[in-house]
Amino acid sequence: MATATAETRAASHSHSFFWRRLHSITGVLPLGAFLIEHFASNAAVLSRHPRQNYGEQVKFLNGLPFVLALEILCIYVPLAFHGLYGLWITKQSEPNALRFSWWGNWAYTWQRISGIIVLAFILWHTWTARFSGVSLPDHPFQSFAKMQAMMANNWIFAWFIIGITTVCYHFAYGLFLFVAKWGIAIGNTARRYWTYACWIIFLVLAYAGLASALVFRNHWIYPIR
Amino acid sequence: MAEKTVQIRIKRQASPQEGPRWEEFEIPYRPGMNVIVALRDIAERPVTVEGKSTSIVSYDANCLEEICGACAMIINGRPRQACTALIDKLEQPITLEPLSKFPIVRDLQVNRQRLFEDLKKVKAWIPIDGTYDLGPGPRESPEVQQEAYPLSNCISCGNCLEVCPQYNDHTTFVGAAVISQVRLFNLHPTGRMNEGERLEALAAPGGIQDCSYAQNCVKICPKGIPLTESIAAMGRAVIKHTVKKALGK
Ligand code: SF4
Ligand code: FES
Repeated sequence: MATATAETRAASHSHSFFWRRLHSITGVLPLGAFLIEHFASNAAVLSRHPRQNYGEQVKFLNGLPFVLALEILCIYVPLAFHGLYGLWITKQSEPNALRFSWWGNWAYTWQRISGIIVLAFILWHTWTARFSGVSLPDHPFQSFAKMQAMMANNWIFAWFIIGITTVCYHFAYGLFLFVAKWGIAIGNTARRYWTYACWIIFLVLAYAGLASALVFRNHWIYPIR
Repeated sequence: MAEKTVQIRIKRQASPQEGPRWEEFEIPYRPGMNVIVALRDIAERPVTVEGKSTSIVSYDANCLEEICGACAMIINGRPRQACTALIDKLEQPITLEPLSKFPIVRDLQVNRQRLFEDLKKVKAWIPIDGTYDLGPGPRESPEVQQEAYPLSNCISCGNCLEVCPQYNDHTTFVGAAVISQVRLFNLHPTGRMNEGERLEALAAPGGIQDCSYAQNCVKICPKGIPLTESIAAMGRAVIKHTVKKALGK
């Protein structure tokens, strides 16, 4: 401890204020916004005709103007930055929640652990759902079957459950942090209420995500085609 | 009946180069004694529990009333002020360790220079000296006094830095105490005149951005300073100031 010189303390690089704040805001916009959109689209399966409605959703999204540019600028670029810079930040931290186990410290620690899990999940999920197998932009109505086939595997389904839950946590607690760090809620009371609000956001999102995922496992009602 | 005693385990280190070692002491109990009193008693007869005579334990202390900050150390795993750590309220054997975030000098004594340098970086003072009498400053409203008073209680002990996962060798993070001092001096009607400089210092490398809001600082602060509130308030002030400046206002 306490041996590094100021020059070797890499996290404190110049312009770190800008990059840290950019990291904070990209988690909310566009990434958080996309997360909500993604869960809302997926919730199309929570309808009477999931196969059809899910296909319509995928078709609609892929029919958006400039969809590729939107995808790159609003998802891939911010995601790469948020993920990589997040790993960098994590590397500079010395978590101590086992020694000082206050809830905020656990939340801090989980934010880092969940960040790593979410990054791994999203990379895998993007690859398997978007860039390999049946091309969904070309065959939107195959989407339901593709996800069904994937989730029929118990391990993959478990991985989805973990991915969905951790991403919801990471986003909800990130929202709390955003409001605290940018000084949107300064007073202790305001921040406490915002904490409750974030827990509710977590529960709602996790419910929507998990409920949607479960539909793909319901082979009894929706046999795999 | 056997005399009541106090068992103390101390993590000792003769110099920064040498490795740490543990020594155990058993000293007679005195009513109302605190950790500093115990350390003084050990100094009077520096003999370990095994009967081996040893060197006097080195530590910092000054005011003995939790106002100078000097005696911060890790007591039973928690950083706190030794002068207000009553033996009666501590589980025995009591373990004493030096703060881990500052370079060690000897035994329980550390070098807290990084904290003082960081206070200098943000100009945690009110410049009133000049070549002529500047006259009385502006008045401070009771509301501002109410907000500022708790902040003014900071004793620069460094406990908030000890528990902070972001305050370490990888970062030059200034830590909660310094951020809160910026809030204090920017609240002051005269101090406010240098508001911009302080906020810019907080946006510099190692500034407020290195805070990841684990909120440990506010839990450990012996003076009950609302540190998370200060960080949120300064978070707003710094971003406002930075954007304004970038837009040339
Ligand atoms: S803010 Fe509290 S814990 Fe930190 S240095 Fe000041 S008094 Fe000590
Ligand atoms: S001796 Fe001053 S705070 Fe303990």
